Amino acid sequence: MRILIVEDEKELANEIRDFLVSEKYNCDVAHTGKEASEMIAFNPYDFILLDLGLPDYLGLDLLQEAKKHNPESYIIIITARNEIEDKIIGLNSGADDYLAKPFSILELLSRIQAISRRKFGYKTSKIQFGNFNLDTIKKTLQYNNQIIELTSKEFKLLNYLVLNRNRILDRLQLMEHVWGDFFEEDYDSNYIDVHIKNIRKKLLTYDQKQWIKTVRGIGYKFEITD
Amino acid sequence: MKIFNLKLKNKLVFFNALTKTTIVTLLLILVPWLAGEITRQDTDKELLQKLDKVLTIIETDGINSFIDQNAELKAFGSYNIIKAEFVSIEQLERDTLIDEIQFSQRNIEDEIIDYRVLSYSLKKEGKTYLIEIGKSMDDIYKFEQKLKSYAVIFLIIILLITLLIDLVFIQFLLKPMDKIISKLHNMKNPVNFDFSNIASKTTDFVYLDQSINALMHKIERAFISEREYIGNVSHELLTPISIIRTKLDNIMLSKSLAEADMIKIVEAKQTLHRLTHLVRSLLVMSRIENEEYLLNEKVNINVLIDEVINEINDKILFKGLILERNETKTTFNFTGNKQLLFTMIYNIINNSIRYTEVGSITIISEISKDGFMLNITDTGIGMISNQTEQLFLRHKSFSQEIDSFGIGLTLTKKIADYHKISISVKSEIKKGTIIILSFPHSTNSNV
Repeated sequence: MRILIVEDEKELANEIRDFLVSEKYNCDVAHTGKEASEMIAFNPYDFILLDLGLPDYLGLDLLQEAKKHNPESYIIIITARNEIEDKIIGLNSGADDYLAKPFSILELLSRIQAISRRKFGYKTSKIQFGNFNLDTIKKTLQYNNQIIELTSKEFKLLNYLVLNRNRILDRLQLMEHVWGDFFEEDYDSNYIDVHIKNIRKKLLTYDQKQWIKTVRGIGYKFEITD
Repeated sequence: MKIFNLKLKNKLVFFNALTKTTIVTLLLILVPWLAGEITRQDTDKELLQKLDKVLTIIETDGINSFIDQNAELKAFGSYNIIKAEFVSIEQLERDTLIDEIQFSQRNIEDEIIDYRVLSYSLKKEGKTYLIEIGKSMDDIYKFEQKLKSYAVIFLIIILLITLLIDLVFIQFLLKPMDKIISKLHNMKNPVNFDFSNIASKTTDFVYLDQSINALMHKIERAFISEREYIGNVSHELLTPISIIRTKLDNIMLSKSLAEADMIKIVEAKQTLHRLTHLVRSLLVMSRIENEEYLLNEKVNINVLIDEVINEINDKILFKGLILERNETKTTFNFTGNKQLLFTMIYNIINNSIRYTEVGSITIISEISKDGFMLNITDTGIGMISNQTEQLFLRHKSFSQEIDSFGIGLTLTKKIADYHKISISVKSEIKKGTIIILSFPHSTNSNV
């Protein structure tokens, strides 16, 4: 999968690129709007990560160009302006998602994966662990075709853990994912612990395996051994 | 004393009224004496004129036309029917010189009457006569009373007219001052200040107005520069924060990282998160101060409250608190910025949850005569009055156990002010806190 990262801050662009490359994505980086405009015109991209605050180019113009030359590509807007109007304008202009700086690169990955699943249809929307079946589109969890009731936040949390399976997620990342814009400066990580406790309880009703491992002082890890 | 806190205009009117009333009171005290003195002098003058007439008659007709020399009683007396005046002439035994005017009582036909009496001794044909001319005090008193009444009425009318003139003049004189005060009073922030010059022919006010305008221009420049600075700095800070954040995320993903190092990175990320939240809040506040947010969305406040509750409910449940919400079938549509209004209500409820360990969070919303009221009551730790006053100031936190920059409530107040929503706080230590939001009815709302 080919991704174009349009970000004028070289260090940030390189960090995102390094991470996505480690996740087996093929990445190009453009540091200016002009550079990005040329790359979009001549190369097909599956994803374009577009920083709206480019010094030499209007971000929304670049978005229009991308939609024109790469109609099949999916666009995630990245901006330092965390405003709902910007989000609405961006999404109305054809962007598929929106991320406010600073963001977690795992959150970026989960957005890319979510869009990918939407792109490729229902077949890839289901993730299986043990006899559990997590449908990321329908937002349901089943055990041998039996639906397990999860609250929206429990589902969000479990989904995020499963998507980042075998990877340690700290509480901050989990809180950011679940509470998003309403995540406070003095967050209480107990809320995450209570949610995890509830999810574990629900999973244990069907399966004795401890899927979610606590990593002391850090957070949690969803373990699936293939 | 309240009187010292009056407006300049009222103080001047009050002072004028006080001095004038004092003067008039003094005059009113003096009037009876003055009226008495004037009446006495007028009466004496009249008596002297009458004496002159009597003397002329005596000169012309001779004393014998009044005094019968053969009679035993050598005296003459005359008074009118109502005994208002009398003239008497009598021969004195001794040669005495008399020329005086005094008050005296006379018995006329068995009636004691007060008179002002002129006594004058006249030598005629080797004999001494006493001429007495009297005027009844009744008449004098009546005249004196009349004089007093006219004087009092006159003084009161003068007092009222001069007070009215003073009031009108002071109002006219201080009108430019009122305009200057109104300009300062109506200023929401230095950028909205009315820089137009006031119309006045009083050079002091012109100078004052020009000086204030010049000062406000300086404050305006400093204000714009400060808020642009906060906005720009906040915005610029997010990029390096973003770089650090991404780098820390990447380090965390490294498989060779020891768990102890991972914990340190998590701690660094938590600190960075606090910084991010602070910068974002400053950015939002700066945008509010710059009036960048459009207030053009029609928001059903009751629905919005339910959305906030839906978002925050699990925190209430996790703390074992009870959420109480009144029945809300009414629709109150308020025109504003939905995102900001959501943040405002969220921050208040969230704060109530944060400072409440046992009990309940009660949310009551209702249409009021002034608009719409939202009461958020908790049974938390409460505050002393000093703390309620400082609740919405930046960087205040009231719990040693809970670490906070306190910027959330500052932002809440900014959002409320931006929407002209008033916030009041009632709190009692160890009992709880009530936050009351009053949404205005007219201008930007409809029910």
